[in-house]
Amino acid sequence: MADNFFWAAMAHTFIYAVVALVFEFFLGLALALLLNSSLRGRRFFRATLLVPMMIPTVVVGVVWRLMLNSNFGAINGLLRQLGVNTEQLTWTASPRLALAAVITVDVWQWTPFVFLVLLAGLQAIPQEPYEAARVDGSSSWQTFRHVTLPLLKPAILIVLLLRTMDLLRVFDQIFILTEGGPGFATETVSLYIYRSAFRFSDFGYACAMSFVLLLITNLISTIYIRLLQSRESVA
Amino acid sequence: MRQTLARSIKYLTLVIAMVAAIAPVYWMLTISLKREVDQFANPPRWLFFPPTLEHYYDAFVTRSFVQYLVTSAVVAITSTCCALVIGTLAAYSLARFELPWRLDRKLSLWILSTRMFPAIVTAVPLFLMMRDLGLLDTRLSLIIVYTGFNLPFVIWMMRGFFAEVPRDLEEAAMVDGDSRLGALWHVVLPLVAPGLAATAVFCLIVSWNEFLFALVLTQTDEAMTLPVGIAGRVTQYEIKWGVMSAAGVVAIIPILAFAIAVQRYLVRGLSLGAVKG
Repeated sequence: MADNFFWAAMAHTFIYAVVALVFEFFLGLALALLLNSSLRGRRFFRATLLVPMMIPTVVVGVVWRLMLNSNFGAINGLLRQLGVNTEQLTWTASPRLALAAVITVDVWQWTPFVFLVLLAGLQAIPQEPYEAARVDGSSSWQTFRHVTLPLLKPAILIVLLLRTMDLLRVFDQIFILTEGGPGFATETVSLYIYRSAFRFSDFGYACAMSFVLLLITNLISTIYIRLLQSRESVA
Repeated sequence: MRQTLARSIKYLTLVIAMVAAIAPVYWMLTISLKREVDQFANPPRWLFFPPTLEHYYDAFVTRSFVQYLVTSAVVAITSTCCALVIGTLAAYSLARFELPWRLDRKLSLWILSTRMFPAIVTAVPLFLMMRDLGLLDTRLSLIIVYTGFNLPFVIWMMRGFFAEVPRDLEEAAMVDGDSRLGALWHVVLPLVAPGLAATAVFCLIVSWNEFLFALVLTQTDEAMTLPVGIAGRVTQYEIKWGVMSAAGVVAIIPILAFAIAVQRYLVRGLSLGAVKG
């Protein structure tokens, strides 16, 4: 455990997980609230917003390599058309931008999942508390804060639990997009374990690290489940 | 006035979100249909370009992508069938029989907890086991592994569906002389058929998308699935963008069809971890 690479990979994994989780949660919540009102074309919007989540992660990697390629990628192409100098913007090839780029891809792919679960949670809330709040004359922010949020809490905790578990083991997208590079900039624990086992054939070390990862994810999921159960006993 | 403004802002936000969700996929679709000159054009050709199917031809006729496609389909379908048979029986017994010391509940939770394992944690031991069994680089190894990780999901989905079926129905059938398995087959399964179908579709999606195990357990064209085949092309020195995009588009099509088929069950399935990152 005195291996600096392992702790660096751990740090990348946690930065990746926390930043992606924050963005995915708030974007997903905003979209869910938007689509929970009576809008025309709701079902159509819902279906199209779910597309990124259904795509195989390997294909997501391909899609974003096409988007982020510094020469012919759509993003730099668009920026050039808008008159931005894109010489420095090499995205996944730049040590400074690579981690941000892979996080963006994760947010793109998994915000729909957060959105979907929260929307289902919102639609399961009965109408009565809202009517009571309206009678009491509470503002829409107050209603959100004191009616919607508490009732949505189980759905929120479940979605955070599932996303945290998936974020901590992230592998596929990064493997395709950067292979942990440039250098070591986007190496996560899963990638490092993979490399130790299947590139350097150090199976014992890989198993040891797997075990540490397992302990950490177990600990975090236990905390979430405790929180979930305490909510249930209060409600 | 204020209401129409609020409404237009809502629609604008939704349209922006929709474009953000779809545009990258659209971009890949155009790359797969562009000649190489147009792929590298600057400024990019967003809408108009002479379309070509050469990359699809290249991927699926000249190269071995058809083989990957067949492997993916065989592995996904076989492992789904295995997981469904074993999982449905297990789920039925967990839903109907009570074990001492509430073991049935604990057993169910323990089964679910195996879904929470990071995949890489099991990948290394599985690789070593398959190596010792001489199963590396075979379709069989993938079928076994996919059956294994789809099982908890099938058990939890089906347990829920079985719990919704009243016991009286099968007890009536059993009074009429049907065995328990007979009652399950004649009475209960027809009632949960939509749920069973949705579960099957989720298993197919997961197996079709799975990457890490397939990467670890297979090495040659004979046993590679489509995701591994695509990934192998990505990390090569000279990348054929058109071929890869064409393969990517083909990999997406069955998934989108499946997803539309199970829209009604999406939330339930996904909360149990049907789709993983």
